[in-house]
Amino acid sequence: MLHNRIIQFFILYGIGLTMLFAIKYTMGLSDYVIPTIVDIIYTAKRIMPVYIWAVIESMMIAMMGHILSIVLASVIGVLSRINSFLGTFIKAGAYQIQSYPVVAIAPIIFLLMGDGIWPRLLITSMICYFPLLLTFVGVFTEPVSDIEQFYNITNTLTWDLKIKIRAYEHQKKILTVIEGSATLAMVGTIVAEFISAESGIGYQISIAMSQSDMSKVLIALFLIGLAISIYLTVLAWGLWTKISHDSQ
Amino acid sequence: MFIQCKNISCSYNNKENPVFNDITFELQGPGFHGLFGESGAGKSTLAKVMSGLIVPDNGIIVNPLGHSQVVYTTNQERLPGWQTIQMHYESVLPKHTRENWQHMIHLFGIEHCMHSKFEQLSLGQKNRVNLIRYLLQDQPVLIMDESLANVDENMREKIILFIKKQFPEKLFVYISHHVREICKFCDQIVVIRSIGRYPRIIQLRGQNICMNKDLDPDTLKENMLEIVHAA
Repeated sequence: MLHNRIIQFFILYGIGLTMLFAIKYTMGLSDYVIPTIVDIIYTAKRIMPVYIWAVIESMMIAMMGHILSIVLASVIGVLSRINSFLGTFIKAGAYQIQSYPVVAIAPIIFLLMGDGIWPRLLITSMICYFPLLLTFVGVFTEPVSDIEQFYNITNTLTWDLKIKIRAYEHQKKILTVIEGSATLAMVGTIVAEFISAESGIGYQISIAMSQSDMSKVLIALFLIGLAISIYLTVLAWGLWTKISHDSQ
Repeated sequence: MFIQCKNISCSYNNKENPVFNDITFELQGPGFHGLFGESGAGKSTLAKVMSGLIVPDNGIIVNPLGHSQVVYTTNQERLPGWQTIQMHYESVLPKHTRENWQHMIHLFGIEHCMHSKFEQLSLGQKNRVNLIRYLLQDQPVLIMDESLANVDENMREKIILFIKKQFPEKLFVYISHHVREICKFCDQIVVIRSIGRYPRIIQLRGQNICMNKDLDPDTLKENMLEIVHAA
């Protein structure tokens, strides 16, 4: 699986670069607009240590934001189970909040909290929590009647047993959305850094953009893609190993 | 002990096409009683109404014990996937029933399944595993909706005879498509007739065979014909 994801990423990145060079040479664009491969390699040698560190920093924040979102979505999902009205209310509320673009709310967060880890963490969580929340609320409010019936009849269905049954029965759904939202976590972090942070790979991209330096942007994209591929691979390996272990 | 259904009407969503309308009958005393009818006649719906899982559109269930004392089980149930059968029994069945269920797993032929998970069992094994945990509950009324489906005939008979002997103080309502079995083992038989046939309910008597009671094949045959014609 590790090889699959990383090979897929290399193929996609290669296709992207090829298309870019195709545009450059068919339209006769200058090296200033789209740099040559030599320029990209030269820039990579120069800035790689800084960018690698920036990607690691962003990745750490993305992972923390991802975990925070999972915890928040779980707590709200569990709370929404209390009654169907609360579940519906939370679902509707989540849609309402999500209808505001987080990018538009992000400046307010930075104005209030300044730069640092917290605003980035918050924006990351806001971007990746939505699919998690909807799945968790759906899972925890949906009875598994064929298992719960016995406990209902014998009056032994406690709230934690109910959560355990529902989470177990929908574990594939939960793990798929956790895996899927990991990409959104990285997107959220980069968006936050791009808007207003003073470190991280999103910040480096914003500088590269202000310098109109496409080499730097391409190198940043390469590192981001590679980091996400590795994160998703490790996450998927961990989650699906757990499922196959449980089902044995 | 009795359960009386008075003028019960029930429908899902569309009240113009009720599953059944104005059904009245009574099951008297402890024993092994049957509920018979063609597929779609409304047996499961009626059973759920009797156990309070479904509220009827009209009519009342008269049951001096209360709904909480009527337990409904079906062959559609499952056990939590993270437990083996042994773990599950130990967690849900009272400690004082341990000896009982250990005896029952041998008798029901599922002793070799105890360290397996529910999803690894065959349909017949699943149904037997599920039935044991319901039989050991304290409630005096148990409705068994196809609880012995996919179990071979000899084992089904063995289990029914055991239930009748072991729990003589309880009232069982046994839902099955096996006419012979219903006639042979049940005392009172409620036949729900197909939609369009009136009256919708006919009550008959079965052979009520127990461990030490002989079966007269001719009477059984007559009884079976009676039920088939009624349905």
